[in-house]
Amino acid sequence: MMERAAALLRLRQVYCSVSRAPGVVCGAAVHAGSVRHYSSGLYTEEEKALLDRIIRVDHAGEYGADRIYAGQMAVLGRSSVGPIIQHMWDQEKDHLKKFNELMVSNRVRPTALLPFWNVAGFALGFGTALLGRKGAMACTVAVEETISNHYNNQIRTLMERDPEKHKELLQTIKKFRDDEMEHHDTGLQHDAELAPAYFRVKNANTRGCRAAVYCQNSI
Amino acid sequence: MSLSLLPLPACEMAAVALRSLSVAGGRRFLLLCGRRQAARIQPLWYSARTLWVTSAVRSGDQKTPPPFPDVSHSDSAGEQSTSPPRYTDQGGEESEGYESEEQLQERILSAALTFVPEYGWSSEAIAEGAKSLDLSAAAAGMFENGGSELVLHFVALCNRNLTELLEQEHKLVQLGSAEKKPTAQFLRDAVEARLRMYIPYVGQWPQAMGILLLPHNIPSSLKLLTDMVDDIWHYANDQSTDVSWYTRRAVLAGIYNTTELVMMQDKSPDYEDTWTFLHSRISEAMTMGDSVKQVAATGEAVIQGLMGAAVTLKNLTGLNQRR
Repeated sequence: MMERAAALLRLRQVYCSVSRAPGVVCGAAVHAGSVRHYSSGLYTEEEKALLDRIIRVDHAGEYGADRIYAGQMAVLGRSSVGPIIQHMWDQEKDHLKKFNELMVSNRVRPTALLPFWNVAGFALGFGTALLGRKGAMACTVAVEETISNHYNNQIRTLMERDPEKHKELLQTIKKFRDDEMEHHDTGLQHDAELAPAYFRVKNANTRGCRAAVYCQNSI
Repeated sequence: MSLSLLPLPACEMAAVALRSLSVAGGRRFLLLCGRRQAARIQPLWYSARTLWVTSAVRSGDQKTPPPFPDVSHSDSAGEQSTSPPRYTDQGGEESEGYESEEQLQERILSAALTFVPEYGWSSEAIAEGAKSLDLSAAAAGMFENGGSELVLHFVALCNRNLTELLEQEHKLVQLGSAEKKPTAQFLRDAVEARLRMYIPYVGQWPQAMGILLLPHNIPSSLKLLTDMVDDIWHYANDQSTDVSWYTRRAVLAGIYNTTELVMMQDKSPDYEDTWTFLHSRISEAMTMGDSVKQVAATGEAVIQGLMGAAVTLKNLTGLNQRR
């Protein structure tokens, strides 16, 4: 009789520990994950940091592009290429708007360099447009090429991680990448390569953009 | 390959047993039995191992300064404050054996808050807190710089409470059962709610402010301040994505800190003077925001004028593109 009671008791203890342990493990896991109370809980800290960086860089890029076209339009607004630049500028404005939305919904801090991009972008657009419409197109080709490369890199990073999870962002970036490539081709169609010192302008621009993206990644 | 390594009789026996069982249709039964047994045994073994591993990792973590891979808090002092207090849903004797070290630390620090008015923000308060939990007073030795960790824990706790408060309010507004406050009023109420959390400790708060400004605490306290300000603006439905993102947060942080200082010297009933001060600072900031907008508009007009001048200049010099 005593033996049976002892056996039963032991059985119960085992059962208790089995039923209790997973719960505790769960609790510990939640704790160790250091939940950010305002994030959606979908992403880990590392992923959130990555997404923040992507959105911040792209926002800065689109902001810069917007300013470049503004600078070009200030010079070439009433020339024959005016409507073409205006069309590209409108698309960039849409991109910027989309990233503004993403920024607010994901609680991403904008870059601290925005005032600098404001001036630098406008100056770049204005300066190259002063070289004539071919110069402006050379600038467009160089900038858009760098930007689409940059978008491609981001698409690769996101695809490597989890294409399903980042589906929406991937679609956005893909669409924007296609738009930028279209601008690139538009530039080439409008005699960008005939611009004075085309390769020098293009290389300078490409390097500048790369440096900008590089700085932007950390600030 | 591995089967052939088995001693032959055992292999044969197993094969015979299997064959006979499958003939009788009992193979499925055998598999089922095996599976159920595995299911019963595995969690115990598995969870025990996980627990052991995690606790070992965690206790190892405690000794190294950056305890988590994430960088939400930059030094060891901030670590206690990052993890939310999740011990409330665990019954005392059920989880006691499984409580992690950091959960225990949180519990001790929370208990220590009761003793702050008496002992200040110090290791003594932590020791008293530990005693009130039936732990040895030596548990205060878990905290390298006791006072700092206690203050940072408290500030993080207040931030969390404020966020919960704002979150609830936000939900009510979304459901339509409460009206959306104008931004100025929202900010005022949020800062007031946050500062009111210091009232029970107001006598000791100057000491805490001093501790928060110690060089080794500045990264953590700055992080806590910016997080709080960011939370308030988030729930105030801030849509800014330009430089005003920074200025808004900086201005609110400034208002919060000055109001905190005013509160420390305030002797009026229910801190009336403090709230009046807060009210006027917020209205000032709002006016400032409006004037900034006006200045920006003026600036744009000036730029337009300059552009016009540039076009004129271009026309004069014959650089005009319209041909």
